[in-house]
Amino acid sequence: MTTTVPAPPRRRGPSPAAWSVTALVVVVHVLAWRGTDMSPAALATGWRGMADFLGDALPPDLDWDTVLGPSLRAAGVTFAIGLLGTSLSVPFALALAVLASRTTTYGPATYQVSRSVLSFLRSVPDVVFALIFVTAVGLGPFAGVLALVLHNIGVMGKLWAEAMEESDPGPRDALRVLGASRVQTVAHAVLPTVFPQLVGLLLYRLDVNVRSSLVLGLVGAGGIGFLINQSIKLFRFDQMATHILVVLVLVVAVDQISDRIRRRLA
Amino acid sequence: MSLHIRGLRKAFDGRTVLDGVDLEVAPGEFVAVLGANGSGKSTALRCVVGLDRPDAGEISVGGTGRAAMVFQRIHLVGRRTALDNVCAGALGRLPLGRSLSPLLFPRTLREEAMACLDRVGLADRAAERAGRLSGGQQQRVAIARALCQQATVVLADEPVSALDPSAAEQVVALLKDLAADGLAVAAVLHQPDLARRHADRVVGLAGGRVAFDAAPATLTDADLTALYAPMTITEPVR
Repeated sequence: MTTTVPAPPRRRGPSPAAWSVTALVVVVHVLAWRGTDMSPAALATGWRGMADFLGDALPPDLDWDTVLGPSLRAAGVTFAIGLLGTSLSVPFALALAVLASRTTTYGPATYQVSRSVLSFLRSVPDVVFALIFVTAVGLGPFAGVLALVLHNIGVMGKLWAEAMEESDPGPRDALRVLGASRVQTVAHAVLPTVFPQLVGLLLYRLDVNVRSSLVLGLVGAGGIGFLINQSIKLFRFDQMATHILVVLVLVVAVDQISDRIRRRLA
Repeated sequence: MSLHIRGLRKAFDGRTVLDGVDLEVAPGEFVAVLGANGSGKSTALRCVVGLDRPDAGEISVGGTGRAAMVFQRIHLVGRRTALDNVCAGALGRLPLGRSLSPLLFPRTLREEAMACLDRVGLADRAAERAGRLSGGQQQRVAIARALCQQATVVLADEPVSALDPSAAEQVVALLKDLAADGLAVAAVLHQPDLARRHADRVVGLAGGRVAFDAAPATLTDADLTALYAPMTITEPVR
């Protein structure tokens, strides 16, 4: 018996749209290259500067009393700024996320207003918030915490709102049908369903905020960033190398611990 | 009549899904609704509970005026315990202050929910996370949640389509028992055999209309074959 199998459809080449998108991407990259003064030649001829720098930095100065001890204490402050900056933003981020998520919001006006508040908080860099708070509470970790709280409300609120929007609509429908109010539906369907995602995003933000608090230290919020800035100004690159090693340990530790928590929740 | 539907019409984007459906379910009666995919069965139930808005027709629900609904995909919160999921059935009548967290649920509600779980045979699994239970057990927890809602009308939208045959048998038998207790129960089923063995009455939907409405004993194989035969379009799509 002979049956003729229909021929597979012919492969088609990239569409004109794909070609123009590719061309556009290339053009944008060329412009970006020019706009940033990219110059591999300068890098090649100036390698000696980097070698001198690294020569000064190695071996790191690990003296406990003058370098490593203060470095670890300062790393503790840096972590504390990141931790409080994350956890104190939780209630505000949660309230705004519920209002800024299409599935839980009260109406178009509430939705737009809360989205705008989140966008504003997100678009002002935490360093700028820090400089503003310094004028009120002076240099130090407190200004850093306040800055991180505001910026983090914007970022985490948006991430949480998106997680809620992508949650399974089934449990929501089930509770709506049996007469639950909007707040009840949020409390008993949306939040318990997306809880693992919210915690995952929270830990990711903690990770980012600990690193941000390092940068805030550079502009005066204290912590290990301040020590790094100081050692650079004093040309003590061997001390700077120690501080950076401590930062590395801190960041890896936060990453490992949050990764473990996330895996247990999944 | 506990559930009373008359002349229900619904179209999605000009495609008629319900074309004047009448359905009555009395207290104590278990009605199975059969029909091919797209015949409008689920849409009819969704209109009754307010998930879809009908274009025309009358719907009246006895008792609280709100029917309870059991879903094919169950829709429990997997991270919460079976008991907390059942308690959620009462959210509509709880004051806001007692309902924001399972920790605030009144003791009387927890006792009532426990009785509902016992009714579906799962009192011993009350403290377990719903997500840990088997599919059939989860669907029975969902039925307990519907009971905790204190509705007199229970609707089930393909409640056993995702279950294995023995779990399906158990769930349909449970729905039948609840009807015998005095509830009005209507279930959309894709298993004519289950409908014939358990239902008091079988309603067939085809093309958005009621094709038959009969006792299982009078239902012929020809009726069923006609119900699932490929539809021939006899009128232009409006």
